[in-house]
Amino acid sequence: MNTNEISAEKTAPKLHSVKKSRNSGKIIIYILLGLGAVLMIFPFLWMLLTSFKTNAQAMQVPPTFFPTQWNFDSYAKALESLPFGNLYLNTGLMIVFRVLTTAAFCSMAGFAFAKLKFKGRNLLFSLILIQMMLPSQIFIIPQFQMLASLGLTNTIFALVFPGIVSAFGTFFLRQTYMGIPDELIEAAYLDGANTWQVFTKICFPLTKTALAAISIFTAVFAYTDLMWPLIANTDLNMMTLTSGLSTLNGQFTTNYPVLMAGSLLSMLPMVALYLVFQKQFIEGIAATGGK
Amino acid sequence: MKKTKLLNSEAKWGYGLVAPTIIGLLILNIWPFIQTLILSFTNAKKFGSYDFVGLTNYVRMFQSTEFWQATWNSIYFCILTVPVGIILALLLAVFLNSKIKGKVVFRAIYFLPMVVAPVAVAMVWKWMFNSNYGIINDVLGLHIDWLTNPHLAIVSCAVVSIWSSVGYDAVLLLSGLQNVPKTLYEAADLDGATKIQQFFHVTLPMVSPTLFMVIIMRLMSSLKVYDIMYMMISESNPALLDTQSLMYLFYRESFVIGSKGYGSAIVVWTVVLIGIVTALQFWGQKKWVNYDV
Amino acid sequence: MKRLWKTIIVSALVLLTVFAVSGCGTTDENADTGGTTTLTFRIWDTAQKDGMEKIAQAYMEKNPNIKIEVQVTSWDEYWTKLEAGVTSGTAPDIFWMHPNEILEYADAGILADCSSIVDESHYSDNSINLASGSDGTLYGVPKDKDTVGLVYNKELFDAAGVSYPNADWTWDDLTAASEKIYDTTGKYGFMAYADEQLGYWNFVYQAGGYIVDTEAQKAGFEDEATKEALEFYINLQKNDWCPDQNYFAQTSPGDTFFSGNGAMFLEGDWNILSECENNPEMNGKWDVAVLPKCPNPVRGDGRASVSNGLCNATTADGKHKEEAMDFLEFLGSEEAQRIQGESGAAIPAYIGLEQTWVDVFKEKNYDIDVENFIEMFDYAVTSPIDKSRPSWKTAVNAQLLKIYSGSQTYEEGLQNMQDLVDQAMVGY
Repeated sequence: MNTNEISAEKTAPKLHSVKKSRNSGKIIIYILLGLGAVLMIFPFLWMLLTSFKTNAQAMQVPPTFFPTQWNFDSYAKALESLPFGNLYLNTGLMIVFRVLTTAAFCSMAGFAFAKLKFKGRNLLFSLILIQMMLPSQIFIIPQFQMLASLGLTNTIFALVFPGIVSAFGTFFLRQTYMGIPDELIEAAYLDGANTWQVFTKICFPLTKTALAAISIFTAVFAYTDLMWPLIANTDLNMMTLTSGLSTLNGQFTTNYPVLMAGSLLSMLPMVALYLVFQKQFIEGIAATGGK
Repeated sequence: MKKTKLLNSEAKWGYGLVAPTIIGLLILNIWPFIQTLILSFTNAKKFGSYDFVGLTNYVRMFQSTEFWQATWNSIYFCILTVPVGIILALLLAVFLNSKIKGKVVFRAIYFLPMVVAPVAVAMVWKWMFNSNYGIINDVLGLHIDWLTNPHLAIVSCAVVSIWSSVGYDAVLLLSGLQNVPKTLYEAADLDGATKIQQFFHVTLPMVSPTLFMVIIMRLMSSLKVYDIMYMMISESNPALLDTQSLMYLFYRESFVIGSKGYGSAIVVWTVVLIGIVTALQFWGQKKWVNYDV
Repeated sequence: MKRLWKTIIVSALVLLTVFAVSGCGTTDENADTGGTTTLTFRIWDTAQKDGMEKIAQAYMEKNPNIKIEVQVTSWDEYWTKLEAGVTSGTAPDIFWMHPNEILEYADAGILADCSSIVDESHYSDNSINLASGSDGTLYGVPKDKDTVGLVYNKELFDAAGVSYPNADWTWDDLTAASEKIYDTTGKYGFMAYADEQLGYWNFVYQAGGYIVDTEAQKAGFEDEATKEALEFYINLQKNDWCPDQNYFAQTSPGDTFFSGNGAMFLEGDWNILSECENNPEMNGKWDVAVLPKCPNPVRGDGRASVSNGLCNATTADGKHKEEAMDFLEFLGSEEAQRIQGESGAAIPAYIGLEQTWVDVFKEKNYDIDVENFIEMFDYAVTSPIDKSRPSWKTAVNAQLLKIYSGSQTYEEGLQNMQDLVDQAMVGY
């Protein structure tokens, strides 16, 4: 279809000029990507450099790029103010549980919405869309009250609680399940499979990459969530990295070396994981597409 | 007939499989929203009993210049972030999908902000934007009040928002790009189409469903923006009123000032606004989104 | 594949339940194990955590069946959390109360009546007022009291050849010194920013003005003295030697001061110790003086320092009210207040223990004249409090910022502030 249009309206240029323009095109791509990369990486670099300055150095006019002498006090202060060990552990557990529950529940719902016919399906699906429109700030207090009535504040469960189900995850996986050909499913039914078997044996394995993608998003959403962990878990030892960091911000306001040191310490595990798994992370998503 | 029996069991499975998600959503999200809706018709304060006051909150809201300013701020923020953010993300996804060297390194760099907490992002940008001691003014050799100039502060917030979300959107778009069959490009190559022509005639139509989803998501989250502004624009900032989004206004009214009823009315308005924008998108998608893959 | 996933999901759910039930082995707020009751004690100042823990320790030694956990939450989230806790029955057992909020909490019937456990003769009227509800009943045990002083950088004064601030200083000396310091060193002089207790309130009261008159249910922004003081204070930012509000929205005066970029700012006593600890390289290079006085006050002698004070409180219907009240009583005892002073956390509200706080600085060899904070109690003015304050605080601040940014005139702004507060007071 689209290819026909192209062939119809375009005559082929000479092979030589095509190659030449491709090379110069590549150079432009490199330049753009390089410039963009500098913009992307610079804030991290500045974070790192600032964290080694003293407050007086950081606020020198004009600013010096590198610290005149490398100073580790800010790290000591940040480590003193926040129980980083607990924060790493809590954040890790929260991510693992949220990813597992969303993966399970969203797959089930996504499959049902995409491939099963039942009364009120559209109505129920509209709930998913409505949820995506609601600002998360309004959930916090009511959810907290539910949690409190269960007596579960200051627990890992409290951190996982609002993320047990995910509207976005359901929406995303429904799209994926819709892409699975109906013929495949009908064939399975003809072979005598029941709906559960069609779901688990035929469809579910085909969504591996989408599942990987949604897991990553769930993890990132969970990790960056600020207000909920702050309200749900009042004990600093039960907070997550993000909410702990905001506590640091409340305490040191504009003392940037300490804030930058704290930020770096808080990103360390996520960035390390990301750098180790980034190949799987991105190419996982890519692999399905190429099939 | 076999067909009806199948349908029955199919419906049962359907309800069973969506049950956890639907029940969860009803309890965790829909019920709190209904509560908010009810509160918006009351004079609820921080504690204690409250009375129904009809449309008082809405009347007060529609007469408030601060409210209309916040509404405009939210819309303006979308205008600033969505088109630019999406175009950059699409370009990035296309570049990273092409055959170039060092792809792995570029990917690692561009997606890095994704794994950093918004608090940390806001803090470092606030520091770089600092008009007296910040590196940006130093490099440019200027003295610009990036965060306190009423016209600029919202733009600065938009820059930070794009910076931190371009990686997200690019990942999603990249997954869409990977789904475009290679044969289409091969055919286009044979027909002698340039890369740019291929982009508009092959890539864009094929990736349009993903693109649509990304746009919807980005619009919704931009209209709901709160975190970045809360972290970067403090209560003592002269640009606060010219920058604060609807959700920031809601936060200040409900949690700082303590007028829960009025704050709830702001939320209801925000949801209506998002609903309208989303409906427009779904209506407009027929014209450009290509599901015929 | 299927079985693997099943196993993973099932085990995850099981683990989740285990974690939820066990509370991850840490802090279930109501864990009563082996006859031990755990009380939570929530505060917002990290710098005072050690002090509060020492008091809790002393109490626990006497009451081995009680365990007290001190939790710190930053100021920004403290009130959201407390509100959520109160409305859902999970409020901490003991918590700090601020005069800004106490009236609203007390009047809603949330706080326990503390009049039976406080011996009022040990506290100043200021302290008692700040811990009382609108009905005059004590709803908290006075914790500390504070004043505001003028912090200055000795090195910058020396460099400019200006003599250090002293008790005779007036507003004119403040501006003259600022000017000279800026001209010679290029560093900022007095950093006057849009703040209440650490800013314009002091000047208003020095000139003889007031912020609110709770009896007359009126704001004081139309008062002659208030107007003069505010005009003086706001105009300070028009000088080259004072950063403008844009600056202060991005960089705090404290950070400017301790990086050596500014010579003076107003600071509360409660911040001094942590500033000493966080800036050891500045030891001996800075000091604190009493506030300069108004040279031509409309009323009074031109002296004032706005004094505030916190109290400790508990909820009226808490699960461990009996234990909490007992601990509260201890918090008001001489012993506990002494520990508080000796930890350097804050000046004890308990009359006669002020010196314990002053001595901390000598013991730790911080060369700073903190007696000046104590001296100012002689003419301290109670921080203006009113039940309606939470509802107008931010709006008044917004008006002030509009004056600073020049988007409304000084007269318009003051009129708006007056109207806002008057309306709010009537509404309550």
